[in-house]
Amino acid sequence: MSETLDYSRQEMMAIATGREVKDGELAIFGVGLSMLAGYFAQANHAPHLRTMTEGGVYGATPVGGLPWGIECNRISTNATSFTSAIDALGFLVASGRCDVGVIGAAQVDKFGNVNTTGIWDDEIGHHYRPPKIRLPGAGGANDIACGAKRFIIMVTHEPKRFAEKVTYLSSPGYLEGGNARERFGFVGGGPSAIITTLGILRPDPDTKEFQLDGWFAFSSVDEIKAHTGWDLKVSPTAHMIAEPTATELANLRKVDETGALRKH
Amino acid sequence: MSLSRLRRTSNPLQPHASATASTDDRTATITPATTREDIGEQMAQTRLISLQEAVRRYSWDGMQYASGAALPIGSDAIIFGRELLRQGRRDLHAIFHCNSQQLNLLAAAGVVIKAECGFSALEVFGFANGLRRAVESGHMALEDYSNLGLPLRLLGGALNWPFVPATVNIGSDLQYRSAFAPDDYPSTHKIPTVVDPFTGREIGAFSPLKPDLAAIHVTLADPYGNSIMLGTEWSRVELSRAAKKVIIIADAIVDTDCIRQYPNLVRIPDLVVEAVVHWPFAAWPQSSPGMYDVDEAHMKFMNKALGSEDGTAAYIRDFVTSYRDIDSYLDMIGRDKIAELGNSNTSFLLDPYRRWILPPDEVAALSAQEVAA
Repeated sequence: MSETLDYSRQEMMAIATGREVKDGELAIFGVGLSMLAGYFAQANHAPHLRTMTEGGVYGATPVGGLPWGIECNRISTNATSFTSAIDALGFLVASGRCDVGVIGAAQVDKFGNVNTTGIWDDEIGHHYRPPKIRLPGAGGANDIACGAKRFIIMVTHEPKRFAEKVTYLSSPGYLEGGNARERFGFVGGGPSAIITTLGILRPDPDTKEFQLDGWFAFSSVDEIKAHTGWDLKVSPTAHMIAEPTATELANLRKVDETGALRKH
Repeated sequence: MSLSRLRRTSNPLQPHASATASTDDRTATITPATTREDIGEQMAQTRLISLQEAVRRYSWDGMQYASGAALPIGSDAIIFGRELLRQGRRDLHAIFHCNSQQLNLLAAAGVVIKAECGFSALEVFGFANGLRRAVESGHMALEDYSNLGLPLRLLGGALNWPFVPATVNIGSDLQYRSAFAPDDYPSTHKIPTVVDPFTGREIGAFSPLKPDLAAIHVTLADPYGNSIMLGTEWSRVELSRAAKKVIIIADAIVDTDCIRQYPNLVRIPDLVVEAVVHWPFAAWPQSSPGMYDVDEAHMKFMNKALGSEDGTAAYIRDFVTSYRDIDSYLDMIGRDKIAELGNSNTSFLLDPYRRWILPPDEVAALSAQEVAA
């Protein structure tokens, strides 16, 4: 930790995610922490970010902390347009217009494929039996993963979440790697980063296997490797990611009024 | 019957309004129509019916039932689901673009055997414990799509298309795994591959959806079913065109002059509506933008209760079978809570429409007319 700043791992994850989002882009955020990361970017360095949610809430500046839904009063209060799911996820995302999306994950694999559907004890096999733990399902993440020009995955860094291969593929990353996405004609380019509570992973340009690109001031290469469920390669240019500045933290906490990111 | 006789405030922007009936003369007889408004009112029958009657008349065991109108914790006809339980409906095939507390409740109660969803949790309120229990126990088969996949399938049903080209959900287990055909792997029937006749490229095909019944929550409806939704539409427009029958569940009933004031905002016209039910706080504990906020405490309480069989039984006893009518339903929520939830940051959204909202006695009178007719 910095000597002067005290921040949580989730706050670092949100700030690192927000830094990936550029001013002027058209951006879509999922529910929960990905919203905080996205709206942090707008509050901090991307004032002209064009924001939307998958329900069709456009132009909102959230008030009162973490929105509890994608059209709740904390963002509906400030929206400039309300439309619909087909408009947001179809006309603006599936069409290829959306620059960047931020999604969460229960499980992610080395090619950036995301599982948010369920946990099975082992391989599901050929008979699709009910999961041991049923998760939320794909929601809009599958549509963002197929259609956004790029997307960022936010996930807590734990071995059980970082699998060699996801047991259920809810939202496509690079599938089996390489140019496998081309087979399906997705207009979106795939995941550009996996941002975790410990560091940042980015895809190898050719194989598309995710490698360690950076660690945080409070983590290390060894800790990250130990918390990753596959043999994680380390990029030759891997480096420590800059700590949050006081301004970044202040801007994040302005968005995260209720302190949802400070709880862990 | 003429709504002009019941209107509280005439429309100052409509010069012919009330030309034939004064607003305070409730005994006036209907005179020959001289305005478009009067013609409409004489031709159309109000479609207002009671909630009990709507469920009795339009639902049956084993039906394909669609609801969950706007996002997991937004505008949803939850009150219709409560009444389905009260009347003992079962073996439902639920089509919910997103799970909501309604589907969570119906699944927890064991009356859903199949469901199709794009998202199955409760947003920031977490997993849907009732739904989860039903799925994990194998009692309910949950077929997964995405939040674009579901409305595209409804659009296909609405347009009477044979299939919808799928550019999403393909290349993932949404395409390869079918809960309705668990031994079919990789599934070739859920989102089958077709060839694009123009490019020769292989692409997925969604099957269209045409639910037997949709109970759609809206903020405001006139007595014929012309509806205004504040907040996002989500997929209510596509659903209203895809379903074989549409029941509108409205938080408030407005005069048709309101509808004429904002025709661009009427995205569900009476043309596709079978019946209208008036029920304030119909989406509770979820939110209805402009009208009321989510009841955070009850969202958590309800979801926790639905996590077990005993909790579900107690919830049904206390919050499903406990009220007799709208008044006792509002008492059950609590009048203080109603006032608190109604004092929302989004209340300004409702301001342009407030003057057109009909008071409960007038809505009741219009419903009585329908029953008599």
